[in-house]
Amino acid sequence: MRYLFCIIIIFGSILVAPANSWAQNITVINNLTLGNMLPGVPKVISKRSAGAAAEFHISGIAGDEMSIDFSLPTYMNSGTSNMQMVFTTTDCAMDSSSSPDQSEPGNDDLNPWHSITYRLGANGLTIWLGGMTIPKINQRPGNYSAVIVLTVTPTGL
Amino acid sequence: MGTLCNNHRRYSIIVITILGLLAMVSDDLVAQDVANGQATATVLAALSVTAVKDLVFGNVLQGLPRTVANDAVDAGIFSVWGAGGAGISFYLVLPEYVSLTGDSDRMTISFNATDANIDTTGLSAADPTAFLAANGYANENPHNLSTTNFEAPAATIYIYLGGRVTPTVDQTAGAYTGDILLTVAYDGT
Repeated sequence: MRYLFCIIIIFGSILVAPANSWAQNITVINNLTLGNMLPGVPKVISKRSAGAAAEFHISGIAGDEMSIDFSLPTYMNSGTSNMQMVFTTTDCAMDSSSSPDQSEPGNDDLNPWHSITYRLGANGLTIWLGGMTIPKINQRPGNYSAVIVLTVTPTGL
Repeated sequence: MGTLCNNHRRYSIIVITILGLLAMVSDDLVAQDVANGQATATVLAALSVTAVKDLVFGNVLQGLPRTVANDAVDAGIFSVWGAGGAGISFYLVLPEYVSLTGDSDRMTISFNATDANIDTTGLSAADPTAFLAANGYANENPHNLSTTNFEAPAATIYIYLGGRVTPTVDQTAGAYTGDILLTVAYDGT
């Protein structure tokens, strides 16, 4: 019986230990904010635009490699109205340095439509995302929004 | 006694197996993290353009040109409404002649380089005779109108248009008409 209790305790430890070794947390620092828009006039938010570009921060153990995946919207919605969104293949940037620099990120012009693999730095990892919306000439006035989903998965490397 | 031991062993194996599975499953669950950010935008008012009043020359006599000034009561009036503070550009497509129904005869119409006034003060009612140079853009070229901004908040801009018709000495009598087309667009400023 004692032998069995020991085994149970060991498994209990295993249960906790791996979870801690890959702990990471995502924080949404900024939403992608396009502000006021005029019907018929497209608007681009650069990934370098502080406060307007979407900004995420991933905290975790330095050196852990993460697979980063966006689920990007193609439309913003306001009630039954929608407005086209476009994300280009260079709309994402990342920086894992101790002082992340949005104007000169460590890894620039990344494709947010593909999985991106990156290692956390001592200060985690900061991710920026720009984008564009294209209102129609007769776009209905109102507040539009869309959800940007960021999924981060440790690769185990 | 032997049965009791066997039951203990069986329970222990089941517990250990469950814990092992939980260990594997919980590892995967904790490993992935998902965050939902948002994209937000506010679309402002769409442009609205109305031809408030036609450019009216009234009765004209054969061989005698007639001019309507841009500040005359007979001047053509367009109103444009849109988002306050937004920059807009105008483009007028002006006819070269007016014609009888069925195009059986034509009469020349012309617009000179000072035939338009643009009132940007956001008046509630259009009145070309009350226009002052300080109210916007005076004596504009209708072929190349200035870009301007709406007053904030959302307001109306009026364009007053004059012109001139030149009937020939043998101009066919009748009612002549022609289309004047105004296109307005936000310029993104």
